[in-house]
Amino acid sequence: MPDVGLPADASGIDLDEVDHHGYEPWVFRTLLAELAVGELGISFIYTLLERLAERHDLDDAVVVLSDDAFGTQTFRLGARVEPVDMMTQLGTDPGLYCSPDAVSESEAEAVRAACQLALSLQLARFRAGQDPLTNIANRRNFDQALSVAAGRAARYGWPFTLVLIDLDGFKLINDESGHEFGDYLLRQFGFALRRSMRAGDTPARVGGDEFAVILNNAEGNEALGFTDRLRQQLKSGGVPIDFTVGTSSAPREATDPGELFRLADARLYQRKGGRD
Amino acid sequence: MLRIEEDFELELRSLPGVLNVGFEHDEEGGVTTVTLVTNAPNREEITTVAQQISALYYPEAHVVVDDVNRLTEATLGGRGGARAALVRAECDAQGVCEVVLNYAGRLATGKAPSGPLIGGVEATLGALRQLGFEIPFTLLSVSHMIAVRNWPVVVVLRSTQGGADRFGIAQSDNDVLAASRATLSALNRLPMSARNNGATH
Repeated sequence: MPDVGLPADASGIDLDEVDHHGYEPWVFRTLLAELAVGELGISFIYTLLERLAERHDLDDAVVVLSDDAFGTQTFRLGARVEPVDMMTQLGTDPGLYCSPDAVSESEAEAVRAACQLALSLQLARFRAGQDPLTNIANRRNFDQALSVAAGRAARYGWPFTLVLIDLDGFKLINDESGHEFGDYLLRQFGFALRRSMRAGDTPARVGGDEFAVILNNAEGNEALGFTDRLRQQLKSGGVPIDFTVGTSSAPREATDPGELFRLADARLYQRKGGRD
Repeated sequence: MLRIEEDFELELRSLPGVLNVGFEHDEEGGVTTVTLVTNAPNREEITTVAQQISALYYPEAHVVVDDVNRLTEATLGGRGGARAALVRAECDAQGVCEVVLNYAGRLATGKAPSGPLIGGVEATLGALRQLGFEIPFTLLSVSHMIAVRNWPVVVVLRSTQGGADRFGIAQSDNDVLAASRATLSALNRLPMSARNNGATH
């Protein structure tokens, strides 16, 4: 049966002003349960849609959410995407769209608000540790990972190699070809870096054109193997840039994160020989 | 949902213009097909980046990028579950109002005089009727709810079949927009059928 009209609150609501009284009891209980286990994110949105479908025997449900930086996002029951159906449901107004339309206004609004909260938390979590251009860890996240790895090296002797990477001639490329091309190169380098990783390694962007990697359980030749894989990835991806690395190893050379970083940076600087 | 799949989905959703992401899985739960719906003009670029991201998480997955704007009325018309969505509502200097609605890819324009409040309601009802909806209601009243912050607009529709009145409320800086939204709000979740009778496109 077709449904006519906009969601109850087409303008959206301010989440800061929502208290638990605004939620339907079952939505609030689900919210609390998921918060307790720290699972409030995209999976929570799908969970809520599934529970809604079970309660009302729905064929379909789509929730449209909106985030200032993320834009319009739609989530569909069962994570299915059938564009034709999607379009019939898709509006630019945040809300819950169900078929058959058996959900009350207050319940629809409660589900939408809870989903919006879940998306906002997930995004905040995602952005806090990620570099937005390359989608690898940012400096803050990397420093934490380095401290953890250094602590394990000091306590248990677990080895790792810190690799600092500087892109060759990036400043010149950026100046001559423009920032857009520079951003493209950084993104592509990020992809190549991630594809060169083994499971458990941590890549990060730690400066403008500076990257760093923690290679767990790796020393010497294994670090060389990584740089070979990275060059191969850049070559096969047609990414026109090369790089220089400086490395340090724990616990053999140091177990203090600052000292490991300083050692690798000094070796990088030496290899660069004053070049950009 | 696996954490890795959640990260994958979030990374895809962070691409500019991506509206929705869906996965198809094999029997072991691996992702076999990734479908993105986007309204971005640069679909090729989105496809390339999505393929690169997909290769990091699920190297074997097939990536499909659908452009939401390419969907046509032919593929959308007559499907159940659609909603009439407000596209535009405005009045000219003479108080003649125009409301454009979209229903399953079909556009309809309703026009009515009498200023932004009455005109906004009547034009909205007109557009719905053009879309083929049978609306057994007439306008009883439309007014600002004075003494409430930002003065929302309240619409009351009277049933022509002896049924209960329907009330709608909406808020906007623009009166005609508020009146139109309030009308749709009043009719929200009213079971009705739309004849596929060639409404304006």
